[in-house]
Amino acid sequence: MSYDAIKVTLGVLATVGLYSVLYKENRFYRFFEHLFLGLAAGWTLVVIWVENLKGPWWDLMVGVAPEKPTDPIGNGNWALILLLPLGLMGYMVFSKKHNWMSRIPIGIILGLWSGQQIQIWYNTYGKQIAGTAQPIWPTTWSSLTVPDYAKSGLTGDALANAKSQVYLSQAVSNFLFLITVVCVLSYFLFSFDAKTKLVRSASSMGRYLLMIGFGAIFGSTVLMRFTLLIDRMYFIWIEWLQQTILQR
Amino acid sequence: MNLILQSKTVNFWAQPYGSSTLWAYLFGALIFGILVFVGLMFMPAQFRRPVVAFCTFIAGAYWVLLYAWPAPIDLQPNELPQGPVEGVGAWLKDANPVVVGMTGIITAFMLGLGIFSLLSIHLRKIRRQQRDWPFSVVLLVSMVAMVSFGYADYFSRQGPDGTKLDLQANWGLANYGRDLLFDGLLQQMDAAMFSVIAFYILSAAYRAFRIRSVEATILLSTALLVMLSLMGAVAYISEQTINGLVSSTGNDFFLNFTLTEVAGWVRRTFETSSLRGIAFGVGIGALAMGLRIWLSLEKSGGNA
Amino acid sequence: MAKNDPIPQPIKPSMSLAEKLTSLPKFYLYIILIFFSSAPLFINVTVPNKPLESSIDLYATLMSVKPGETVLVASDWTNSTRGESWGQFNSVMRILMRRGVNVVLYSTGDAQAPRVAQDSIAKLNKERLAKGEPEYKRWENFVSVGFFSSGEAATNGMATNVKATFAGRKDFAPGRGLTDVYESPILKGREKIENFPLLIVITGSKTSNITVERLSGKVPIAFTVTGVMGPETGNFYQSGQIVGFASGLKGLYDLEGLMENGVNVPGKDGQIVIKSEKYPKIDGFPGQPNAGQGSRYYPTLHFAVALLILAVIIGNVGMFLARKGAK
Repeated sequence: MSYDAIKVTLGVLATVGLYSVLYKENRFYRFFEHLFLGLAAGWTLVVIWVENLKGPWWDLMVGVAPEKPTDPIGNGNWALILLLPLGLMGYMVFSKKHNWMSRIPIGIILGLWSGQQIQIWYNTYGKQIAGTAQPIWPTTWSSLTVPDYAKSGLTGDALANAKSQVYLSQAVSNFLFLITVVCVLSYFLFSFDAKTKLVRSASSMGRYLLMIGFGAIFGSTVLMRFTLLIDRMYFIWIEWLQQTILQR
Repeated sequence: MNLILQSKTVNFWAQPYGSSTLWAYLFGALIFGILVFVGLMFMPAQFRRPVVAFCTFIAGAYWVLLYAWPAPIDLQPNELPQGPVEGVGAWLKDANPVVVGMTGIITAFMLGLGIFSLLSIHLRKIRRQQRDWPFSVVLLVSMVAMVSFGYADYFSRQGPDGTKLDLQANWGLANYGRDLLFDGLLQQMDAAMFSVIAFYILSAAYRAFRIRSVEATILLSTALLVMLSLMGAVAYISEQTINGLVSSTGNDFFLNFTLTEVAGWVRRTFETSSLRGIAFGVGIGALAMGLRIWLSLEKSGGNA
Repeated sequence: MAKNDPIPQPIKPSMSLAEKLTSLPKFYLYIILIFFSSAPLFINVTVPNKPLESSIDLYATLMSVKPGETVLVASDWTNSTRGESWGQFNSVMRILMRRGVNVVLYSTGDAQAPRVAQDSIAKLNKERLAKGEPEYKRWENFVSVGFFSSGEAATNGMATNVKATFAGRKDFAPGRGLTDVYESPILKGREKIENFPLLIVITGSKTSNITVERLSGKVPIAFTVTGVMGPETGNFYQSGQIVGFASGLKGLYDLEGLMENGVNVPGKDGQIVIKSEKYPKIDGFPGQPNAGQGSRYYPTLHFAVALLILAVIIGNVGMFLARKGAK
């Protein structure tokens, strides 16, 4: 059996082993579950050093040997060693007496995250707020819906002018877009105590409109999960059985 | 500007590679770090929260200042900043790669926490021969195997001919071992784990997805519309049906009612907007949470 | 009753239609799903398709990058989303390779991601060599910067200075071993994010959000995302924060169709297969291996989805019948 055949066969065994949980919990499944966890943890250990600590920390700290004897000697920034005790403080979470120390590196990471939120908020939502505020009144009544520009025969400036207009159908869609955002927001932000009838109605409407978003997410999730399953079936029936075992 | 952790010229903070001064300073700094570590272990309880709050605040203050402080305009690399405002702005900007690097390093150390926890649980299981302890042996053996082959593969690519190992024809035992464990087993099991959810989705949809309320009806209808509109065959059939209607009536207006057009309109008008409303809500919450964490107003954080 | 008479058993009432409809054992359901997800894979059928506007925008953006330019590719997927992401990665890389565009790979989402991306490029190179095309070489055509454990920090760093963020990162240079990535010819002179014409994120996680939060407005951004992230990615697309995206298997199938047929390009019968008013003619790559996972899986997805819809209908019919029976 060639290496590729062994590799694919092991993959199929592992896949079937994990799928066996669908029948019931069994030792075959538990074996592969633990194998998976061990391999994932092992790879993480490799990557932590190779990708995140060797170059960005160790090499910068102790310096690197020059490639050629004529190259200048690099420098080592020794102060980087202080990050080691700082990082190791995180492991004090396992200590009953000193677990407060783990909050120092966690606090630093959370502080770095939270400090970015102001900048991020505007970067993310500034354009979306602008994108929500679209024209809700038509600029022309020449057509109720967006015309078919290809068949209109318009060219040049006339075509550009036609494309820049807001038609009634677009204005209605923009209005519905704006109303949906406001109603959904009112459901979130005023859900603690809606006093006026308007806010209560908007909040109630927001709940129904939210369902459209959730329905879309559910539909997309279904498609994605089924695609992943089809991929596994392809791996078993086509890549392994047909191409590797039967060699068709 | 040369900051203490990115200096290219030799100074107090940067010593030549392999020099005894570098190792002496390194050792000294490590001793200092250990002393601070031990000192913190003996810190009185009333100082613990202020220490954590201080570290959190300083960390967050960097990014807030970077965003809020006026950045120097068109400062060239060999030009010095003029005045304290431009000086601080230039320092903040130059410190950015250092802060980014330090964040990555601290996060990398913290990534090991999960593995440390996994190891301690399973080693305890083996030591005490608790139920299913042989599976813990499997976990440890596979972890050691992955680490061994992973590093062996990495070191085999270190030399000047490392790029030749991009071709399988040039592989050795270490490379085959890494490939078998990573690509042959880990990746396939990863895919299998995620795909199992498809079965549960089908089972849940069959048993629990009922049109019992207005909300459930809207959710199901939208889900069906999204799924069917993304199915090319269904969209094609709908388009052919509408095209037939257009040909028989001669009215192009019906082209707006193909499945693709209707689903696209629902997507653009209602789906995107409702998700945007959710995103705005989440964003406001994240901003509020970020401020509370930065200023240590969260009661659970920093309690010692 | 005599001593030896058999004990009378309670008479089991026969199940109503409603109960029969809603009580199929789940294991049988799973077997049916396996059948519906497998059998169509053996049938070769082409499903007609009209690409979404977002997919056409993505394709047009990829095709507008000039040969010899260097783009950033954030490869944040692993085999957990192989069903969609692998095909998306392959399609994007095929387009970039065929156009002679250089690639800088980096990852912020998963420690396994850099290795998975490099293994995929190795497979694509095998395909190129089999077709007599030149290999896409490490260092000269692509570099892998590696995995950043703190995605937020790294992406924020890139917003300020890409070179400083990638400091200390090495890749394998021919004849030299591990060398600083900025010594690669494809990264020379590209120190800021604005020096890159495009950033593409191929992801199955929230790294797309992280990228938009920090790099939006500084560099054109395009996504290929898994289906579950499609709706929220549409949010960024509608506001113009990203230039185009492909979502899920449908998006992948769109890309493969665009690679085969181009945009506004007449087919063999003189008819334009994919029309777009937004763009002039954009060539495809007819005759080259364009069909991949999308073409293989898309027809089968129809059957799986049909099964789900049938299951939901049967369940609800059972519920209505039960309610009617109860009245």
